[in-house]
Amino acid sequence: MNRSIATGLGIAAAVTLALAGCSSSPDTGTATTSSSAGVTAEPVTISLAGWSLATTPEFQTLADAFHAANPNVTVDLKEYDATNYDTQMIADLAAGSAPDLYVLKNLKNFFTYEDGGQLLDVSDVTSTLDSGTSGLDAYTVDGVSYAVPYRQDSWYLYYNKDLFDAAGIAYPDGSWTWDDYVSTAKELTTALAASGSPALGTYEHTWQSVVQGFALAQTSGADLLSGDFSYLKPYYDRAVALQDSGAQVTFGTATTNSLTYQAQFGTQQAAMMPMGSWYVATLLAQQVTGDANTFTWGIAPIPQLDSSTTGLDKTPVTFGDPTGIGINPAIDESKIDAAKAFLAFAGGEDAAKALAAIGITPAYASDVVTAAYFGLTGVPTDDLSKFAFSTHDTKPENPVSSSTAGIQNILSDAHTAIMSESQDVDSALSDAASRAANEVLNQ
Amino acid sequence: MATSTVTTLVGDLHPGSGRSRAPRSARRRIGRLVGYVALVIAAVGVLLPFFWMLMSSLKTNNEVFTIPVQWIPKTFVWQNYVEIWQKSDMTTWLKNTMILSVVVTFLQVFTGSFAAYGFSKVRFPGRDALFLAYIGTIAVPWQAYMIPQFILMSKLHLSNTLWAIIALQAFGAFGVFLMKQFYETVPEDLSEAARIDGLSEYGIWRRIILPLSVPAIASLTLLTIVNTWNDYLGPLIYLRSPELWTIQIGLKTFISQYNAEYALIMTGSVLSVLPIAIIFMLGQRYFVEGIATSGVKG
Amino acid sequence: MSSTLTARRPGSSFKRRNTLLGWSFILPNFVGFAIFTLIPVIWLFYIAFTDWNAFGKANWVGVANFTRLIGDSSFHVALKNTLYYAVFHIPLTLAISLALALLLNSKLKGVAFFRTAAFFPYVTSIVAIAVVWNMLFSPDTGPINQLLRALGVDNPPGWTTSADWSMPAVIVVGTWREMGYYMLLFLAGLQTIPRQLYEAARMDGANAWQRFRNVTVPSLRPTTFFITVMLTIGSFKVFDLILVMTNGGPGQSTLVLSQFIYTKGFMENQLGYASSSSIVLFLICISVTVVQFLVNKRRDA
Repeated sequence: MNRSIATGLGIAAAVTLALAGCSSSPDTGTATTSSSAGVTAEPVTISLAGWSLATTPEFQTLADAFHAANPNVTVDLKEYDATNYDTQMIADLAAGSAPDLYVLKNLKNFFTYEDGGQLLDVSDVTSTLDSGTSGLDAYTVDGVSYAVPYRQDSWYLYYNKDLFDAAGIAYPDGSWTWDDYVSTAKELTTALAASGSPALGTYEHTWQSVVQGFALAQTSGADLLSGDFSYLKPYYDRAVALQDSGAQVTFGTATTNSLTYQAQFGTQQAAMMPMGSWYVATLLAQQVTGDANTFTWGIAPIPQLDSSTTGLDKTPVTFGDPTGIGINPAIDESKIDAAKAFLAFAGGEDAAKALAAIGITPAYASDVVTAAYFGLTGVPTDDLSKFAFSTHDTKPENPVSSSTAGIQNILSDAHTAIMSESQDVDSALSDAASRAANEVLNQ
Repeated sequence: MATSTVTTLVGDLHPGSGRSRAPRSARRRIGRLVGYVALVIAAVGVLLPFFWMLMSSLKTNNEVFTIPVQWIPKTFVWQNYVEIWQKSDMTTWLKNTMILSVVVTFLQVFTGSFAAYGFSKVRFPGRDALFLAYIGTIAVPWQAYMIPQFILMSKLHLSNTLWAIIALQAFGAFGVFLMKQFYETVPEDLSEAARIDGLSEYGIWRRIILPLSVPAIASLTLLTIVNTWNDYLGPLIYLRSPELWTIQIGLKTFISQYNAEYALIMTGSVLSVLPIAIIFMLGQRYFVEGIATSGVKG
Repeated sequence: MSSTLTARRPGSSFKRRNTLLGWSFILPNFVGFAIFTLIPVIWLFYIAFTDWNAFGKANWVGVANFTRLIGDSSFHVALKNTLYYAVFHIPLTLAISLALALLLNSKLKGVAFFRTAAFFPYVTSIVAIAVVWNMLFSPDTGPINQLLRALGVDNPPGWTTSADWSMPAVIVVGTWREMGYYMLLFLAGLQTIPRQLYEAARMDGANAWQRFRNVTVPSLRPTTFFITVMLTIGSFKVFDLILVMTNGGPGQSTLVLSQFIYTKGFMENQLGYASSSSIVLFLICISVTVVQFLVNKRRDA
């Protein structure tokens, strides 16, 4: 008797869940054609997912700017956790409780959303955008666009002019290769120690992208998805040599003492730091609140692999992923027009100006945008900084594919093994290659 | 070390042998001394990390991670404790965590001990298999069935409410397992006697078994409170609105927002330990000692 | 096992009465348990045979996930590391928490303070613990290695930054964290042992060790069983501590099964594959538990 009750409950529940599972799979059909400029006259509210709303002003900026241009559309922000954004978003999409629009925080997981049918086709919006907008290609799969980029980060070389002066070494001038960078870091460390400063020549943060992003972008023919990681070797050799020489804090010390890149450069523990463009806004804010010291700094183009791309007459190669917004296919039919209008706005010049004014590097680039960015108080206005900001060939850190997430995880393990010096570069890379073949590429 | 100390102390604890020869009392004193030394060493080992945490919570940010390690701050920044209340939403987090702890604990203890009585004192077909199913779910890692559970909760419109966490934690197998094990130490003779006197099974549970299992209930209460207090993944998935956040979520968010402010992070961590530590310190006598002479007579 | 009513009239009505009775006790808990835990777990068993990715349809793939597990080198690493952790963590924690409980089950002065102190680690947020212990274990600047160098050890281990020493470091922190928890359970168990038993043994002339072996250990058996089962399952399932302390690294030296499941499920969105791995973890835990169950039952008889 009790057994059949339990069984009955179980069957009923399983059936309910199965039905629920079936009904939550959305259709990915293209929406009805609608002009991106036409927004209905009745008031509409659309919801947008963002993270750490208190300290990440870009979402509110976009929402407010759009509302100013389209008073009958209100954009409601929904807060997510910054570090676990994708976990929460996936759970919400699976349960059908995700907001109308959501940000694609990184390109690594874009494939998951696109392949899972969780993004509406927005090709009609992207076709109206400036074709030079960075990141459009990244969000296009098989000719169909699924998201609009509003932000494109790139990596520069930040440098502390005051520390360079104290060491008596010339600033970067845009002509550096990685060898120039390494030798300067070593010189800086020695000179700074001699002058009594505890600062080191450079600080490379513990992320895998600090080494691997550049290797992938700057090595011609390098392909993450090929499973051949030999292109990483010269970059890792340099990174390990740098920490062995003392010009850079060791990986072990950085991880166990939870060093943050903001504090390392901001409190002048290092004279140089390769870091993404988002750091400009953070550094400015911290210099105002006093969390960072007050000192003169600048940005330079990142060191290059060889002299073919160095110099102010060439275009330096760097890496960076776009950040975009997509539409949840479960959105109410009546709101699609408003949502698409928001997307068109986010990828356009007005949004770019608003974002540049708070220190974000927008995906849409133009002189107007550059002027808005450099009009911000505290941003270094020397020519080299302007060059670094406006002239770069930014390659994506994550190619869009089903294997990317798996391979990046394998490379992350290789990164910690190499940088902690638990394993030498060659064996770690060959282990990574065989793991990639065994676990990811042969599936 | 431990064994000889232990046996000496165990010998100590049950006095009444009547024969107190001089060597024995000397041995006893040495035993007690060794015991104290062992305790002090153990306490230092246990508390050292906390000492560092506490000291760091009173430092300025730059002093927290210095090379070499600085144990005592140069200046005591008591202001940190004020700042954390201002900068973060500690009050809301504490309130939510307390509500959850109390409700979950109450439900766990009540339904768990009730069910445990059924499992240990009543024989019916399928009982052992069902109990094994209970234990089985403990053996499955939660992140494995997190998504299906989330979908179910969302369909029941429980997601983004405190009820979601209550539903998840209040009916767990842990409480049932713990109480069942303790019930098995209670001899059947007591219940037999009560049954002969005409008490129903519910009466036996309420009047005989429940009072006897105070130590176990106290343990379960404490452990459930701690578990709910420390739960991070559950609130991460189910408590999205900032006004529903618990301490762990709040702290994590705080850390990621102010990641250079290590002193404040330590302050937050100390604050998150403090309520539980106080409850435990004040109540541990009741939690652990229970009713000393409530042992079975006869 | 406690004997139940045998002197009454046997027969189906008796059985039915007992069944109804049993279920009436269990029902409040069981309803919540079944809906919120049992059903998702059963659902999990189904997903393991599909290729579900959280959205859309789950296509049946039979045992393909399990076959893939067998050939997956990361899975082997995770399995090995999990066993490594369990084999050391379980006896260490059991011994230390029992010793602490015996030590603190006394009327020594300050026992209340020491009991609270032992329990502190369990109550602290895991994030704070990871930050603090990582700092303590820091190879160049941390106090532990400074102490080792002062004691004459030339090349102190790299702890969480070394592939060889990261697991021992994690085991130490895991034991440090949990010993207070299990000590409390042992304490509660010790408190239910009637004094009379010790009196009787003392009358019979038993010394301290004999009293421990013949009175304490048998009376503690249900508690010890409970603690061993929870400790075993907990050790096989260890996750948060490793995730925040080392994130499975350096390399894969501290990758355990739970993290493997988490990575496959949430980082790479292969929930079907992650579920099949969960089932393997479940089978390991349950077989060990069943063995412990049987051993316990045999001892009872």
